[in-house]
Formats: sequence, C-alpha cells, structure tokens
Amino acid sequence: MRAREPGRTSVQDFNPTATSQVATVKPLQIRGRFLTAVALHLAGRADHGFFDALDDKLRQTPLFFENAPLVIDLEQAHGLETTQEMQRLVAELRGRNLSVFGIQSGNRNQAAAAAAAGLIALPSGKAVSADRVTRTERPGAAAQAAIPEKETPAPASKLITQPVRSGQTVFADRGDLVIVGSVSSGAEVIATGNIHIYGRLRGRALAGVNGDTSARIFCHALDAELLAIAGLYLTSENLGADTPRDNVQAFLEGEKLRVESLK
Amino acid sequence: MSKVIVVTSGKGGVGKTTSSAAISAGLAMRGHKTVVIDFDVGLRNLDMIMGCERRVVFDFINVIQGDAKLKQALIKDRRLENLYVLPTSQTRDKDALTKEGVKAVLDELREEFDYIVCDSPAGIERGAHLAMYYADEAVVVTNPEVSSVRDSDRVLGLLNSKTFLAEKGDGSAVKAQLLLTRFDAQRSAAGEMMSVQDVLEILAIPLLGIIPESTSVLKASNEGQPVILDDTSGAGKAYVDAVGRLIGEQIEMRVNAGEQKRGFFQRLLGRTA
Repeated sequence: MRAREPGRTSVQDFNPTATSQVATVKPLQIRGRFLTAVALHLAGRADHGFFDALDDKLRQTPLFFENAPLVIDLEQAHGLETTQEMQRLVAELRGRNLSVFGIQSGNRNQAAAAAAAGLIALPSGKAVSADRVTRTERPGAAAQAAIPEKETPAPASKLITQPVRSGQTVFADRGDLVIVGSVSSGAEVIATGNIHIYGRLRGRALAGVNGDTSARIFCHALDAELLAIAGLYLTSENLGADTPRDNVQAFLEGEKLRVESLK
Repeated sequence: MSKVIVVTSGKGGVGKTTSSAAISAGLAMRGHKTVVIDFDVGLRNLDMIMGCERRVVFDFINVIQGDAKLKQALIKDRRLENLYVLPTSQTRDKDALTKEGVKAVLDELREEFDYIVCDSPAGIERGAHLAMYYADEAVVVTNPEVSSVRDSDRVLGLLNSKTFLAEKGDGSAVKAQLLLTRFDAQRSAAGEMMSVQDVLEILAIPLLGIIPESTSVLKASNEGQPVILDDTSGAGKAYVDAVGRLIGEQIEMRVNAGEQKRGFFQRLLGRTA
C-alpha cells in the first residue's frame, strides 16, 4: 500500500529542513481569536471598602469568576498610578483566584504602572450589563468557546438529475457522483469517490480516480463502454457474457475489478 | 408570443431540411405566420426544397452584414399566405454568422412572426451552434440507427448547455422533442432497424412524431414542394400530425400514419416502394 502513496514519502525525502520524523509539522501557526472577559469597575481607591465589597460579591456568586479572564476598568478609579499600588491590587485579586490580565480606561500613569505589574493596557471596550453576563456565562462556557471551530468543508458530492449526453464529461473532483438518469454512449462520468447511476450506464465510468481503491460504481443497468476504479479498468469487450447487467456494483478485489449483482 | 424552433440533428442527411420545410409549411397551413431560415451557409438547400431558388436576391448573410434590409431578403411563399423563407448564402461560409447578427435578425423577426423555424446545418460547429443558440424549442431529427442516435444525443447535450436559455442559469431550458424520420416499421419489427422504444430510451425526450420512409419525400424535394403539401403521402400526413403536436395538440401516435393499405396483389408482389 505504501507504493500507492508517493505523495507522503516524497515530502519527507525532499524537505530540506527535515531534521526529524515530524519535520512536516509547522513550528508555529498564527491565528486570531476572540474571548469574553469580565470587566471589574473600580470606583475610588482599592481600599478595604473595595475588597470587602468584592469578597461579598464572590461569596454570593462563587462560580461567576471561576476561570474567567478579568480586566480592571479604571475609569472611575483613584490612585493606582505607581507600580507598587498596582502590584498589590493584582496580588490581592489573584489571591482570590481571579485571573486578572489587563486594565482598561486607565490614564497614562496607570497604564505604565499596569505594564510594570505585568498587565496589558486594553482600549476601553463596550460594557455589557453584569446581569446579562451572569445569565449567559456558565462555568466552563469560556473554555468551550476557546475550542476553535472546525472548518466544515462544502458538500463534496455531486448530484446530476439530467441524462448525461454523449460527449459530456461530469467530474466530481472531491467525492461521490450521483446521477439520476442514464449515461449515454460517448459520455464520461468521473469521481474521486463512488459513482451511483440510477439509470442505464452506456458510457464510461471512472471511480476513485485519485487512487481510492475502496471506491465503487453502482448502476441500475450496465451497458458500459468502460469501467475503471483507481486506474484499473475493464472495457465492454472484457466484460464477459456472464457479467450481471441489472442492479450491479463494480469494485476492486485486490488487483481485480469485479462486477456483481446487488441482491 | 413568437417562438424560435431549431430543427437540428448533429448527423447529416437525416432529414433536417425536409423537416424544416414541412414543419414551417404545416405551421403556415394552420394560419400561423411563419418564417423558415436556412443556417447552412455555403450549402444552400432550403430554397430548393421550398421551390423558391430562382427568387433569391438577398440572403440571411446580406441582412446580418447590413447590405440588405430583412424585408428585401424574405421570400414570400407562393402557395401559403403565411409562409416566408429567409435563404442563406451559397458563396460565403459559416464564419459570416455572428452571435450579434443572428440575434438582431431573430429579434426583428420575432416582432412579426408567430414561428421562426431555424434549419440547422449538420455538425456541432459554428453554424449549428448559432442555429440553436437563441432557440426556445428544438426538434431533434433522428433516424433509427445507432450513429444518428448518438449524434442526436450529443446535440441534446449542447442544447442543455450551450444555448442562450441554458446559459441564463435560471433553470430555463430549450424544450427538445424527437422527430424520428425514415422509419420503416417492417424493418424495425424484423430487427434490422432500431425500434422507437430503443431510440426513446437512449434519448429520453418526448416524441414529436414518426415519419415513415417514403418515396414521396424525394419526389417532393425534386419538385420543390414541402412534402406536407402532398396529402397522399404517408410522410406528409405524419408531418401534419407532428406539427399538431408541436403546437400542443394531443394527437395519437401512429406508425406509418395514413399509408395506403396495400392490395392483395401488391402484397403478393412484395414491397413496391
């Protein structure tokens, strides 16, 4: 089977940077992403009153802040313009298991202090009411959102609902080909996957043209000029008189193309 | 609302021009104002079948190139009041046809005529392509033999993909119907010729009519008379039925429609035709 996959071996052989078995894996990828963060609005100074109120809130909704990235909004805050002040605030918040990572709406001094304390200064964002956040945010929701969505490929099979006429070629380049109608003599139907013909096949049918040896050809009535799967073919001359002709499938068995009736 | 009907086949010699002449004459007999256009540039035949070859002054190509007005090139039939012929050039070739030119002529004809019958040349090249390009309906002329059927199949594929209606991409398509010509019921029954069912199974389009093989067709051609005007001919009667179906009438399909029953002695002597 390895010989049927020349693409894979050639990449390893000719990759000049190949230093190990996993040389084809890229060392880094850059992707953009969005995340939802909680903004903690600090009114006045970060004093006892603030921390007491915060502890109160944490007791009421212990799960609300769990795992949630947190930004401190400094629009109405006083002080916090020195590195020490900022570091103390961060230490207090992290001591309460809050994952603070940045500030927003701070003045220049506050931004500098935040940078020194290892926080990033974000442009001010639109605030969402905390009630709404409470309702929509559930434990683990942020973690779920972090999973990048898989790209869903467009449907790759092709459906033809008209007869395929002499001289026409229909090619399903990324999957199965389904034909509701007949395939005329002199017509060609080609697919990288399986070929289904709900009608009489009089022309040529080539399935698994990219080398897929498991591809099959199904048809209601077989009168083909040529049948091919993964490059192995039979012409109408090679199809013996004992070949079944109605409701048949063609498939590869080892290196042999077989035509059998669908019971 | 006028209709452009192309008479086409792919293969040559199957009876396109005979059928174009008969169908256009049949439509005119029923009172529809009809024009038949010869698209076979360089091999002008339709004018002879229609019996107006001596009256050709200007032709289709002159009109396309602006050398003559459409009115000057149209020839009014002497037998049928509603029938006109637009002959083609014998000296030019298919390159003289342009998509824009054909469209301009057809648009002008659409304003005046109920039916515009386009007699396509054989083949699938420029002449045949432009004959079918602006068609609303197609009459696919086929003989009951394998090469003709395969060529007709190819033409049906082109009608579905290379015409104005198909290229519009809004799901509209040229309505194609099969006219089976030169059919011999006895030879078909004996297995020497394809049967109607065999042809229909391969082409998968509605059957417009079955025209029996008949000596009257050659005789009519030589006389410059559309065979449909010969009411003693089986072929002529079959064309009358086919024209009726073309305009939407329900007419029962008869093989060898109206062919005279042969007498006892004729049967003893075998086929006279």
